[in-house]
Amino acid sequence: MNYPRLKHWLEERYDLTDVRKFAKSKLIPEHRYDFLYYTGGITLFLFIIQFISGMLLAFYYVPHIDHAYKSIIDIVTKINMGWFFRSFHHWGAQLAILFLFIHLFGTLLVKAYRKPREMIWVTGFVLLIISIFFGLSGYLLLWDERAFAAVRVATGGAGALPVIGEFIKIFLRGGTEVTGETIVRFYAFHVAILPLITLCIIGLHVLLVQYHGVSVPTSLEKNKTSAVPFFPNVFYKDMIIWLIVLGVVVTLAVLLPPEIGIQADPLAPPPENIKPEWYFLCVLETLKLFPGEILGLNGETIAILCVSTGILFLFLIPFFARKANRGKKSPLFTSIAVVYVVYFVTMTVIGFLS
Amino acid sequence: MKQKFMTWVKSRLAVMGYALPLVVLSIICGLSTVGAEEKVPVFPQSTYDAYIIYQNLAIFWIFILGLIIIILMKLREIERTQKLGADNDNEDAPRLE
Amino acid sequence: MKLKYSLISRRTFLNTLFGSWLFALFSGSFYALIKFAFPTVGKEPDFVVLKLKDYVDIPNNSVKPFTWGNVLGLYLKKEDGSIMALKGVCTHMECNVAYKPDEKKFYCACHQGWFDDTGQNIAGPPPRPLETFDVIVEGEKLIIAKKGVQVELPKA
Repeated sequence: MNYPRLKHWLEERYDLTDVRKFAKSKLIPEHRYDFLYYTGGITLFLFIIQFISGMLLAFYYVPHIDHAYKSIIDIVTKINMGWFFRSFHHWGAQLAILFLFIHLFGTLLVKAYRKPREMIWVTGFVLLIISIFFGLSGYLLLWDERAFAAVRVATGGAGALPVIGEFIKIFLRGGTEVTGETIVRFYAFHVAILPLITLCIIGLHVLLVQYHGVSVPTSLEKNKTSAVPFFPNVFYKDMIIWLIVLGVVVTLAVLLPPEIGIQADPLAPPPENIKPEWYFLCVLETLKLFPGEILGLNGETIAILCVSTGILFLFLIPFFARKANRGKKSPLFTSIAVVYVVYFVTMTVIGFLS
Repeated sequence: MKQKFMTWVKSRLAVMGYALPLVVLSIICGLSTVGAEEKVPVFPQSTYDAYIIYQNLAIFWIFILGLIIIILMKLREIERTQKLGADNDNEDAPRLE
Repeated sequence: MKLKYSLISRRTFLNTLFGSWLFALFSGSFYALIKFAFPTVGKEPDFVVLKLKDYVDIPNNSVKPFTWGNVLGLYLKKEDGSIMALKGVCTHMECNVAYKPDEKKFYCACHQGWFDDTGQNIAGPPPRPLETFDVIVEGEKLIIAKKGVQVELPKA
């Protein structure tokens, strides 16, 4: 597979030697934790397939309160391959968020966020928040009772934030309640605003990783580890993993197409035993731990403040981890990371089982 | 005689130990479907379509696994040439094509 | 002459295999994507359900239209009271046909095509007869079904 004429055509116009040199000289270290390097790539791949399948679904979806639910039923029952691509988009989203969390916690545990890579952590964290909002907004578009209740609870939760809460809630809902306005708003977020922001931030994130090179854990930094060139060795390994991930998403999409509930009715009571998407369970279970009133103050507000503080600390963790930034071992921040991971996993499992 | 009876009871209990959770589980599952009248068909209903879909899924996996095997072969080839030090393409070297 | 070494190197062989395999996988996936992206066309219903009382009382030698998917269907009661249903779309250039009670024929105004009251093309350009449907009466319902299709009504 060689195209000398095409190669010649390109080389006449563009000097590709630098590109080729760069691709060959870019080295990826090999060590005990190098599987973590692949989690970012998997997430990127899942984002790509979400973009593609999402663009196609937008051909058929109608973001209007009277037609939203029916248009999805039509996609599933009438359009060629429609049932598959809806399911595919659903499972792609689930796995994208799962791998985002794995990527985040992996980075957290090996402290890859430490100086000089603080901004990579920050951009990645913003991407996680955007993706969760992606999930929430995409889920509402289905407009069945579960989606309606989930969005009501989530936007209502934002409303419990002091001072700015009410403002955020009304902005997100496009009114004081979840209505047809909310569908249009969330549709705009889901298909126009968030994808553009995501593209920019992914670009920045990847560019920064290129700029700094991948991080090596502190414990392994001293003894010279071996390294392999990104192209072709790691590139092909990446490709193998992407293929497997694609296969898994397709298999899940075929074997476990997500159910569609009854159309949302703002006046009907929510269905029994309703649960949000799994990535909200951790926060939800935490909120349940707080009593309704603490020392005469609104318990919910305090709970949401606590959760926000926890998230904010995680967001700014590279700026607190002074010792790690100096390239020293920092058991304190390792244990903080472990606490975060264990807490998240436990609460999610509890939320799942309860 | 009595002992025999006890072992029988115990064996029954053991079976019950397995069966009871299953029964409870199936009742719960059954109840959860009672409320949901007429589900939206999220998967093609006819068995013929389903058969074609599973067949395609299998073919898809065969293609993926085949590609993975080819990539692994390529990787081995690449690593072999890298060990020989032959990967540094000499631009001036005469070519076959 | 037998060559001692193959002219195709292991690398070239693997690259060709890799490229074509990748191409095959891509085109398979791309086909699915295109199939979904391209509007789903020509998917006619297997049957439509109408209200019997709307159709049973029409006079002899007249037609009443119904919607067959997205196109015109015609319910015909002949002079002798026998009943048939057919797709009211000319087989020539897909114009809608009209029933001419005087001549007991279907007429397509686009290119002057004629069909008789059994749907046979008798004059003008139409190449094939009109598509006829099965008519089934079930209680209050009038079911017009494609020929040879098993009608399974959804449980009410």
